[in-house]
Amino acid sequence: MRPTDLARTSLAFVILVLLHYTLRPVLGWHASPDFLLIALLLVAIRVRPGHAALVGLLMGLVADSLEPHAFGAGALGMCLVGFGASWLKAVFFADDVVLNALFFFCGKWAFDVIVLLAAHQMSGGALLVELLVWSPLKGVVTALFGLLTLLILRPILRAPAT
Amino acid sequence: MTNVSRTYGRRDSVLFVVCVVLAFVAQFLPEHLRDPFTAALRHTVLAPLVALQHDAELTRQAWLTREARITARDSVELQSMTLDALNAENDRLRKTLELGARLKWGFVPAEALQGRDIGEEYTVTLSAGSNAGVRVFSPVVAPEGLAGMVKTVDPTMSIAIVWAHPDFRVSAMAEDGSAFGIVAAHEGSDPERYLLEMRGVPVRSTLKPGTLIVSSGLGSTFPRGIPVGTVLGELKTSELWARTYLLRPAVLPQDMSTVMILLPQRTVSGVDGVWQSGRGADAAVKAIVAAGDSLERAARLARGDTARADTTIRSFVSTTERRDTVRRVRRDTLPHALRDAARPAVHADSARTVPDTTRRAPATPAAPAPRDSGARPVP
Repeated sequence: MRPTDLARTSLAFVILVLLHYTLRPVLGWHASPDFLLIALLLVAIRVRPGHAALVGLLMGLVADSLEPHAFGAGALGMCLVGFGASWLKAVFFADDVVLNALFFFCGKWAFDVIVLLAAHQMSGGALLVELLVWSPLKGVVTALFGLLTLLILRPILRAPAT
Repeated sequence: MTNVSRTYGRRDSVLFVVCVVLAFVAQFLPEHLRDPFTAALRHTVLAPLVALQHDAELTRQAWLTREARITARDSVELQSMTLDALNAENDRLRKTLELGARLKWGFVPAEALQGRDIGEEYTVTLSAGSNAGVRVFSPVVAPEGLAGMVKTVDPTMSIAIVWAHPDFRVSAMAEDGSAFGIVAAHEGSDPERYLLEMRGVPVRSTLKPGTLIVSSGLGSTFPRGIPVGTVLGELKTSELWARTYLLRPAVLPQDMSTVMILLPQRTVSGVDGVWQSGRGADAAVKAIVAAGDSLERAARLARGDTARADTTIRSFVSTTERRDTVRRVRRDTLPHALRDAARPAVHADSARTVPDTTRRAPATPAAPAPRDSGARPVP
C-alpha cells in the first residue's frame, strides 16, 4: 500500500471509529450500524489477509475492553471477518454497490454469529431470535450505512489515477 | 471500493492462526489477568472514545428527555398559575374572615356564583337563603365595601343584584360627610359600564379625585359607612343645579366570590368602625381637632361672658348707686321743692332752691362707669 493510500485509509478509518462512538450512541437503535466493522472491512480489502486478521484482533480487543464479560469474543469475530474479507476480496470483489452492500451485510452477520456463539451469553430462543432476526437486521442497517459512508468518503478513498 | 492486488501466502496463514489463538486466549483469560488489561485499554486507547460516547449518550438523553422536560415545564407553569389563583383565593378568604371578625355578629357568609348568560351579568346567586336569616334588600358586602343587595330570597339560596345592575341605587356621601348624593351604575360604553356614578351632589360640594364615597345610611337599606367607591372625576351633565361624579367601585366583579350578607338587625344597628380607612382616621383626627377648637372657643367665650357679667354687675352697681343717689337727692330735694312750691310766689327765689338742689346732686359721688361698659345696659 502506498503511503498516500495508507493515509487516506487511515483517515477514513479514524472517521468511522469516531462515528462508532458518537453517531451510534446518538441513534440509539437496537439494530444500530456497526461503524467499527465497516472500518475493519474498509481496511481489510486494502491489506493482506494476515494483516487484516491482526487489525481485526486489535480492534476486537479494544472494543471488548468495554465488555469484559465477553472479552475475546469480539476479537475473534473481527479477526475472522477481517481475514475472510481480505481473502474473499481477491475472489469476487468488484466496485459494485450491490456487492459492497452484500459484503457489509455478510460481514456484520458473520461477526454477530461468531460473537454470539463465542460469548455464550445467550441460548435457546433468545439466541435464535438474535441470530435470525436482530443480526440480519443489524447487517442490513450496517450495509446501508456502509454504502452511505463509502459514498461520502469516496473523495478520500478513491485511488488517484495512474 | 478500490481494487488492490494482493497475494496470499503462508505468512498470512500463520499470522491469522496466531491471531485466532490470541483471541481464544483472550477469551479464556483469567479475571485477575483480564481485568488489568481491559482497564489499561479503557484508560489509554479507549479513554477519548469513551468520553465521546458518554457525551453522545448525554446528547441522546437530552434529546429524548426534551419532550418530557417541556411537558414538565408546562406542568410546573400550570401549577404555578394554579398556585397564584390559590394564593389569591387565600388572600380573599383571609380578608373575608377579617371582615367577619370586625362585623362580629349579624351577618351570613355566602359563596357568590356569578352568572354567565345574558341578563345574568349583574346578578349573583348566593349560597344562603331565608333559612339563614337573609331577607330581601339585605345588603351584600365584601371586604372592600358594598357589593350589592339581595333581590330574591329562597330558603337555601338567594339572588342579589350587584352595583352594576341598572336598578341598583345607594344613598352615599363623601367619607367626611361634605357631600351627599345617589350612587348608581354608570351606563356608559363597555369599559366604563363597570363604573359607578354619584348623582345629585350639590353644586357647592366639590369632590376631589380619590375621595372615598361611603353609604350614607339614608333610606335604611344600607347602613352608614360602607365604602361604595372612589371618585375618579366629575362628569359633565346638563344638570346645572347638581354635580355628577364618576366613581371607581370599591368591590370589583372578580372580588365577589365570597361575600357577607348583612342581616336586618345588623343593618339597623349600623356598621360603624368596620370599614375604617386611613382617610377615615384622618377625618376622625380632623374632627377631634375641630372639636378641641370648638371647646377652646367655647371656653374663651365663657371667659368673655364672665368678664362681661362682671362689667355688667359693676355697671349695675354703679347704676344702682346713681339711682340711689338720685333717689336720695329726689327724696331730699322734692319735699323742699314741694314746700317751696307751696310757698307764695313772692318767694320767687325759692325756685332757685331746686336748681340748687339739683346742683347738689353731682356733689354725691357716683361710681364712674367702666370703660367696657359698652355691654348691654341692665334695665
